[in-house]
Amino acid sequence: MSAAAAEPLAYYRAAFEVVRAGDPGAAAQRAAAFERFAAIGFPAARDEAWKYTSLRRLESRRFPVHGDAGARPALPAPLAGHRITIVDGRWRPDLSSQGVLPGGLRLRSLGEAQSDGESLAALLRVAQGGGTERFAALNAALCPDVVLLDVADGAAPEPLEVVVATSGAEPGMSHPRLVIRAARGSSSRIVLRHVGDDTERLVNAVVDVEVGPDAALHLYRLLDAGARAFHIERIEATVAQRGAFLVHDAQLGAGLARLDLNARLAAPQASAELTGLFLADGSRHLDTHVRVDHFAVGTRSLVDYRGVAAGRGRAVFNGKAVVHAGAQQSQARQSNRNLLLTPGAEIDTKPEFEIYADDVQCSHGATTGQLDPAALFYLRARGLSATEARAALTRAFAGAVLSRMDHAAFAVAVRDVLDARLARLLEAQP
Amino acid sequence: MLSIRDLHARIGDRKILKGLDLEIRAGEVHAIMGPNGSGKSTLASVLAGREGYEVTQGSVEYLGMDLLAMEPEDRARAGVFLAFQYPVEIPGVNNAYLLKAALNAVRRQRGETELDAFEFLAMVRDKMKLMQMDESFLNRGVNEGFSGGEKKRNEILQMAVLEPKLALLDETDSGLDIDALRVVAAGVNSLRAPDRSIVLVTHYQRLLDYIEPDRVHVLSDGRILRSGDKSLAFELEKRGYDWVRQEARVA
Repeated sequence: MSAAAAEPLAYYRAAFEVVRAGDPGAAAQRAAAFERFAAIGFPAARDEAWKYTSLRRLESRRFPVHGDAGARPALPAPLAGHRITIVDGRWRPDLSSQGVLPGGLRLRSLGEAQSDGESLAALLRVAQGGGTERFAALNAALCPDVVLLDVADGAAPEPLEVVVATSGAEPGMSHPRLVIRAARGSSSRIVLRHVGDDTERLVNAVVDVEVGPDAALHLYRLLDAGARAFHIERIEATVAQRGAFLVHDAQLGAGLARLDLNARLAAPQASAELTGLFLADGSRHLDTHVRVDHFAVGTRSLVDYRGVAAGRGRAVFNGKAVVHAGAQQSQARQSNRNLLLTPGAEIDTKPEFEIYADDVQCSHGATTGQLDPAALFYLRARGLSATEARAALTRAFAGAVLSRMDHAAFAVAVRDVLDARLARLLEAQP
Repeated sequence: MLSIRDLHARIGDRKILKGLDLEIRAGEVHAIMGPNGSGKSTLASVLAGREGYEVTQGSVEYLGMDLLAMEPEDRARAGVFLAFQYPVEIPGVNNAYLLKAALNAVRRQRGETELDAFEFLAMVRDKMKLMQMDESFLNRGVNEGFSGGEKKRNEILQMAVLEPKLALLDETDSGLDIDALRVVAAGVNSLRAPDRSIVLVTHYQRLLDYIEPDRVHVLSDGRILRSGDKSLAFELEKRGYDWVRQEARVA
């Protein structure tokens, strides 16, 4: 290892020592996780999983670990009846909804879970493989807390909103970690909302999901962080027999974002529906890697992401489906359609299939195009300004994904952010 | 209302309009007829401001304004309406949204207040009845999955809602069965008014059985070869376009 490459690792090691000195619990798991991070290190220049995304800028930063347990960052209006707030990776009951949780939900911190005898190895598990294993490991080493959310057997609780925020006017980093376990036969809807400000920082999040047999879990994710934020997130879900994991993702913020969204369909008839939208305007760089592993008979997956890029914005979409041997009668569908609003923008999309079973249905389509000039003229010939016409067509393009977001308040919030951003970016262009 | 003088236009290197003159007064209905490729649709496109056409010579004056210098949306707001030959399907843009946005753009231009949702719906419902369109059309994407006849009816519905001063109907009769043609013609006739001019661009005389024009022009090879009253249309139907071209050559 060269001296230059060792330097950021030395910094992170020092940060880890500081965290360890604070005795956050689970010392053995954290030490192992940190060594995992140190062993993998930052991506090398020719790392296929980071082909279009450079982390050199992030690598050069020396962000201190955020530590102010009393900080009160500004929070947006709630999108669900009950809210849980995580600031700098810490669950903050004082900034969360007061009163009892919706019936069927149970919420615990790492300490509580530990004294209840929950397995630390499970709560701080580092999922292997993919481009973000290193960051998932770093998260396990540095996370100040784990928010453990259980949905009870057969429960159908009211929707819950989890807000992940940061504090402090100085640059820093935080490592929020959320574990969601949806027990057998439950049906739940969880909004995961990342908010931010203009301060430069790293948010390195891990969301670990278990969907039990016959359970359905909807995850509504809104990434609306600041333009100078580095945001790295790994969502790792395992779905049991006849379980369903449904993601509705809206990536509208952060300066540089990377999401690895992995679903493991581990038992027969398990399914995943992973849909989303990303908007890379300004000089944002949004990189999304979605992977579905079909391990069992009759599993189904649908991946449908739409992307919009403008200005010097750049987006990357990599969709991978692996149908393992024995996963007969499985179905894997994938679509990624992209829209470039200006010539300087760029979107790189790559579908990948690996199929080791012979009786399966797989389909994929990836396109990148521009607004239809005939439709633009039609709208202008009816009196809409060029800006209005472009906004209407862009909203229509995004709408195909937004219409799947069956959580009304969430869909409205996404549309509001999207509309405001479209108005700004389209006004800025001739 | 509209004065076109010596209009020359081309697409790329292909010259299409080659010195077209046309004068349309308020309240008149004009039919522009001609064989395929004569420049009829180009004329409609140039007047509406479609990209890709280059005007190389001549002028178009609309209500005292230089029409060719205006953006398409400014023409629309000033009362120019083009009923498209091929209305564009725009999935995801709601018909009601388009109608309301278009209407309010025109109303702002006229110095009128914007309609609220309730007033807008009441007004649109009336016009939809006239066009025999079901209200469910409002919540569908613009022209999305519409049949040919439904698309044309939707164009005339938009025209009825926007109440333009100058309506250009580009081959609105093409692809219509006789029932749809009657509905479309009734819609157009209901919009005849002393302060509104209508230009029907058509290949066939059939439309003129239902909408009676004040003037008929024959367009061929980018110029108007002959103008007359509605009897010219019947003559054309009987004798064909070659007859006009031969007459023109002789003259």
